[in-house]
Amino acid sequence: MCGLAHYFESEGLATVLVGFVREHMEAINPPRSLFLDFPMGRGMGKPNDPEFQNKVIRAAFDLFEAPNGPVLENFSEVIPVRDGRMGYALPPELVLSTSDIGDMDGLLSEVAAEMEALRPDYEAAILSRGRTTVGASELSIKDFAPFVAEFVKGNIPNSPRKGLPAIPLLKLVVEDLEAYYTETRTHRDRIDDLELMGRWFWEETKAGRLLLLLEAVSVASDNKVMLQIVEMSLMAPRFWSEGPLPGTSAAGW
Amino acid sequence: MTKISEMPAVAQSFISNLELPVAENPAWTPPEPAQQRRISIVSTAAVSRRGDKPFSWLARDHRVFHKTDRDLIMTHVAVEFDRSAWQQDLNVIIPLDRLEEMAQNDEIGSIADEHYSFMGAADPVTMEKSAREVAGKMKQEGVNTVFLIPI
Repeated sequence: MCGLAHYFESEGLATVLVGFVREHMEAINPPRSLFLDFPMGRGMGKPNDPEFQNKVIRAAFDLFEAPNGPVLENFSEVIPVRDGRMGYALPPELVLSTSDIGDMDGLLSEVAAEMEALRPDYEAAILSRGRTTVGASELSIKDFAPFVAEFVKGNIPNSPRKGLPAIPLLKLVVEDLEAYYTETRTHRDRIDDLELMGRWFWEETKAGRLLLLLEAVSVASDNKVMLQIVEMSLMAPRFWSEGPLPGTSAAGW
Repeated sequence: MTKISEMPAVAQSFISNLELPVAENPAWTPPEPAQQRRISIVSTAAVSRRGDKPFSWLARDHRVFHKTDRDLIMTHVAVEFDRSAWQQDLNVIIPLDRLEEMAQNDEIGSIADEHYSFMGAADPVTMEKSAREVAGKMKQEGVNTVFLIPI
């Protein structure tokens, strides 16, 4: 992001950016930047809080008053993060193995029932917000869990989507599945708490269990891309965990 | 302040080891007065309009969306950031409504018709060609100010 600012500025466009990692902002030195001590994923701070969002924007735009630069300021308010981590992290001890797989058809039935129970509130969330972020995979909602289950069973299915191989599609399906749950819960319970959402989805739901089994299969997989997904923490949220997933180096990047 | 040195081990190692681009002779463009600013957002959240081609994992290219688009989806490769916020309110990562309001209140000149998205996981050096293409499109549209927002 900071690097992009230099390109735009050199094209005669005045830029300002916000960012979450102050040390990087200091090193890259974009022309005008505002450091936000917020969790990542919340550049304007708080959802559905126009007043707070305007504060961030105005603080950023105030940097246009600087006569010269680079200029780097801190935003005046902090949204605390937990233990230095800027997003939810799975507990390091919560790791499944392929020996935990058991009755996949039974688990699929449980996930289907769980999703069906959420459906009325998911639809209410769409009506209320006028949008959904579910659908990056372009699979229908009922196909999310069965598609994931094929991988857990040790298969790599053909991608139903032209131009997108099965494993990159799998990643989008995983994110769609999580979004279906969290969009529903944030609306139904009127909560905005990333830690609570992470704990609930990954540690308590049947869908979370399905994905942890997928992680177990990925670690044991001979497929380099499947292994890369877990090495790089691209599926289960372990980037902010205290240690790498057992069996990986977390050095994939 | 959240410092890299205080981050958990995996994140700390990854973030510390990133190769950061250093700008030789960085440019400085004097901004226009506030009421003459036409502003375009550049996001690195890898969002795009539903139906657009998904971003590849280390994409160098960009996607375009209109100021009235709200049906956006995300194909960012990373999962270390909170996605529940933007699920609730697009403005928390791409504040199109806030900029529209600021334009109506004459705090800024106008919000651009078109806004842009990149894959934040990719090395920005590899995005230079695409970024300069975006700059060209912006200038054609009369944009003079860019608001860059990460995910």
